[in-house]
Amino acid sequence: MKIGFGFSQLKEHIQAANEAIGQAVIGLANMPASLAFIFTSTEFAHPLLLRTAHNLLGEIPILGCSSQGILTNKGIFKYGFAVLLVSLNQQTFFNIASIKDINKDTAFSSGKELANKLLYGFKNVRRSLSIIFSDKLTTEGTSLINGLQENLGRSFPLIGASAADNFTNQKTFQYVNDHLLSGSCSGILFGGKFNFGFGIKHGWFALGKMRCVTGSNSNVIQEIDGEAAVKLYEDYFAKDTLELAKELRRISISYPLGIYLPGEKEYLLRNIISIRDDGSLVTQGDVPQGSKIRLMISTGDSRLEAALAACEEAKRSLGGLKIKFVMVFDSAARLSLLGRQSDIELGVIKEVFGKDTPLIGICTNGEQAPLKSINSLGKTYFRNQSIDILAIGDQ
Amino acid sequence: MLSFIFISICLIVASLGISLLSKIQRLKEAGDKIKTLNLSLEEMDEQAKLIMRTDMELNKAQEELDKKISGLDTLQKLSQEINTTLEEKQIFKKIDNKYLEELGFERSLAFLWKSLEREFRPYLRLGYNDEEAAKIETALNANKDYFLDLIQNGISASSEFMPEGFLAKDKIRRMFLVHSFIICPVLTQEGDRGFIFVGTQNTEASITKGDQEFISILANQISQTLDNARLFEKIWKSQQELEIKVEERTRQLTQALEEVKTISKRKSDFISSVSHELRTPLTSIKGYAAILLTGKLGTMPDEIKNRLEKINRHSDELVHMVNDLLDISRIESGKVDMKIESLDLKTVIEKVADLLSEQLKTKNISFGSNIVDSCQKIMADRGQIERVFINLVGNALKFTPQNGKININANCANKIIQIDVVDSGFGIPQEAQEHIFEEFYRVDNTINQQVKGTGLGLTLVKHIVEAHQGKIWVKSKLGEGSTFSFTLKAGE
Repeated sequence: MKIGFGFSQLKEHIQAANEAIGQAVIGLANMPASLAFIFTSTEFAHPLLLRTAHNLLGEIPILGCSSQGILTNKGIFKYGFAVLLVSLNQQTFFNIASIKDINKDTAFSSGKELANKLLYGFKNVRRSLSIIFSDKLTTEGTSLINGLQENLGRSFPLIGASAADNFTNQKTFQYVNDHLLSGSCSGILFGGKFNFGFGIKHGWFALGKMRCVTGSNSNVIQEIDGEAAVKLYEDYFAKDTLELAKELRRISISYPLGIYLPGEKEYLLRNIISIRDDGSLVTQGDVPQGSKIRLMISTGDSRLEAALAACEEAKRSLGGLKIKFVMVFDSAARLSLLGRQSDIELGVIKEVFGKDTPLIGICTNGEQAPLKSINSLGKTYFRNQSIDILAIGDQ
Repeated sequence: MLSFIFISICLIVASLGISLLSKIQRLKEAGDKIKTLNLSLEEMDEQAKLIMRTDMELNKAQEELDKKISGLDTLQKLSQEINTTLEEKQIFKKIDNKYLEELGFERSLAFLWKSLEREFRPYLRLGYNDEEAAKIETALNANKDYFLDLIQNGISASSEFMPEGFLAKDKIRRMFLVHSFIICPVLTQEGDRGFIFVGTQNTEASITKGDQEFISILANQISQTLDNARLFEKIWKSQQELEIKVEERTRQLTQALEEVKTISKRKSDFISSVSHELRTPLTSIKGYAAILLTGKLGTMPDEIKNRLEKINRHSDELVHMVNDLLDISRIESGKVDMKIESLDLKTVIEKVADLLSEQLKTKNISFGSNIVDSCQKIMADRGQIERVFINLVGNALKFTPQNGKININANCANKIIQIDVVDSGFGIPQEAQEHIFEEFYRVDNTINQQVKGTGLGLTLVKHIVEAHQGKIWVKSKLGEGSTFSFTLKAGE
């Protein structure tokens, strides 16, 4: 496997694509590119730009998305065009696919359909890993994953990211070949000889009494311990609903809800997106009825330790294999909490994998990765506020 | 047997009762423990709430502090950028997207009020396309009075803090296509005033007082830089006008100088030709007078002889005057060939002293010189420089009373020698000092009334010194003597 990486911040978008792709091609050192991952800021999300990139790359498969932040070895950038070219050997197989027009009712079936498309041609090939990039699907994320796992297999490693926009809550874009998509999910399935390791952590700790979700419907928690769900936050922060609504973003990212998962070291986090008039809490990702939940708290150090643990776990999974590149899906909320020190987390990653190991990533509004405990049977969950590290090893 | 059975049953019942009582006791104890645990749990939950609230306050403070540090850093960078230009339009171009993003905004506009056109004109546009910007400009000018009031009163507005009487918050949001915003007036001392607008579409962002303070500082910075730019332009324009005036005056002066030179040349030519014309008959007059005085043409009565002697003496004076005039004229027109060479100053002075020794002796005037060792050599034309010394020492001799003193001092610096001819004479009145080197000027005093002179001696001296690229000046105080100083290049 050979890797070429390029990044540009030129204001003229076509020139930026040219520059970044040029750098990546040089990095491949005359090896033919098999696949391209493209991550850009929203400004670059244009069909013409994708066509240009597709033509420049000789029409190899392209997969990627827009995001409010691009992570590279050189830093985290709010503006730019990043491309990672991968030259794979003949023993590695992959297939890319996408599914459009996902909504609450069709999310599960869309997941199944995407899985089927990805599985095309994999009949006698050992499947290894699937990576997906979905729109900022706040309510449909869990169903989509369930649908995908229905056909890919419940314990099949599925890692993914919901791209974040620049907090304008408008649109995110997915790139598949020369198609610019929105409200969709695109993905890749690797098989054959393909080595990878992953680690996912958040660094939040439970605080206070454990509660029980006594009433919920997918991502809407109606009751906790028989009372309106919002009361939990009202009690803890001594604020009424109106005050909470005003500070919801800050409270939500600093003190998310944590769902207790037996056997797992960390709780599964859920951000609160909004508070309904009846006191229900709308979360980013499903919270099943009967879930044991607690309020979560973190510190800068605990989050950094979590990032370090995720990196080390990914590295350890590869068991000493040379790491060819690292893909990072880092929650936008984490970076927002780090503020001016957002580069610290990137520094931790580079320290573990080495500063010269190619690194590409995006800021996310939701991460998908499997749980590792025996109880969870490797099932992938929709997560919030996590850092997802995927290390790809030499073939 | 029955009693045994009864006793046994009683014992069993009693032991069961004891056991039951003991279990009840244990259950009670367990219940108490559970209650205690629950109480502890509730207490811990209350503590957790306290921790959460404290943590939130700390986080808020940290966030605000981070925002302030980052904002201050950005403002400092922006100030440096803005201060690099003194061109009004360039000031706004220095405000870049990256600075705006660092302050937490992605859209910005700046408008200045054009009082002549009676409308707001855009000077900055970030994060808007042409169509959006045009729509905003139209909407703004349709509501210009509200914004003019804001500028007039020097008040800021934001999506969090709206002043009374200003447009509704939602109207501003719709007009500028943002969710949160700040508007700060740009209050310049002179010229067009306006406002800067920053905004974000981020629905989760909220404007703090700190944000408003930052944008207010930025607006002030822009105002000051605009004032500086305008002041600079004003000064620059004045300077341009001044330069034009100076150029015009210089041209006029050059023209006048040329005219003066022409007139002066004509005068010199005239004096030169007149002097030449005078010299020929004068020579004849002097010659004939001399012949007559020899008596070769017969003896003459004493009265005629006296008259002839007067003719001869006056002819000498006239010849002297004509010669001086001719010399001045020649030097002015550059017709004199100067043979500049390194001369020993002491030798020159000694020669002059020797020439004037009789007169010095007659008036019992002490004559001395004080020449620093390093000033022994001068670069000069021997003949001309001797005339300078003869004139200056001769004048000193003339105006110094009996038993007086005349000294010649020489000092040098930077290869220039300054020679001072110092006398203990009557001195020269202050008002006469500035005219003393002018042609035919004679100080009005008793000595001059008694002793005849042409009034050309010092003019000639000045011309000779200047022909040596030197300068000459006088310092004098009535009754305390005079010092005539002149400079020459040092010899090798």
